[in-house]
Amino acid sequence: MSEFDLKIKEFIEELGGFAETAERTLAEIEKDLLGNKEKFSVFFERMVAIRGTAQQLNLPAVAQIAKLGEEISVKARTAETRPQIRKCVGSLWDALTTIKYLLEHYTEKTTEEQDILVHRLEATLKAMGGARPSVDASEIDQLLKQRR
Amino acid sequence: MLRDEVNILVIEDVSSMRTQIRMILKSFGFKRITLCESATDAVRLMDAEQFNLVLCDWHLGTDVSGLDFLRFVREHPTFKDVGFIMVTAESTRESVIEAIKSGVDDYLIKPLTLEQIESKVYGVLLKKRVLE
Repeated sequence: MSEFDLKIKEFIEELGGFAETAERTLAEIEKDLLGNKEKFSVFFERMVAIRGTAQQLNLPAVAQIAKLGEEISVKARTAETRPQIRKCVGSLWDALTTIKYLLEHYTEKTTEEQDILVHRLEATLKAMGGARPSVDASEIDQLLKQRR
Repeated sequence: MLRDEVNILVIEDVSSMRTQIRMILKSFGFKRITLCESATDAVRLMDAEQFNLVLCDWHLGTDVSGLDFLRFVREHPTFKDVGFIMVTAESTRESVIEAIKSGVDDYLIKPLTLEQIESKVYGVLLKKRVLE
């Protein structure tokens, strides 16, 4: 087994714990959509962890879906209606299921179904107001210089 | 101080990331590298020995985030001057500004590259006069 395969194996094992937390969180939110929406922050945290590691391990398909899951969970926290929250929960279940599948089959090429899911997640995110503005490394350096 | 004397603490909740960061730091000649997965563990370690640099993940999967830990460090009488680099996939403008306001020395965005880590780590160690 190569060093890369070992790292992926380790990551997948860790993800088991992350996915368990994320699944439990979504199940709790489903019990009381408005009352438990703060729990989206737990899901968000796990998605950031998955994305960061997936980017590091050069698993762009996983990172892309985790990023969408991350942004949808941010929007879900401030959603005001049950249908909006329900939509987010549905999308996040899809995202989580796909991430788990992709990690277990990381050598396979991206399929049409995954592309469809990405479009669906993007549409959900867009309907909720879009992703938060982000900065790249050079903008961060600029912000740090301004402070100095 | 020589490179192999510099004491570095890495706080990261994902073990595969922790080991990767250690591997990269070792490749630069750093030898004293301690890994931990939470801010609580970090406080215990910092109480026991002096670190010259902290590399800390933002999202630690616990109630205490990397940002909370940074604020704690900057207000602590003993730890406040330690070099602190936030290592994260969190790249929203708002978050970066929040970290800068809280006293972060530098900010590393995942995926980490060798060049990026090298430049940020040396930059902070030179600024803090740990390395000459």
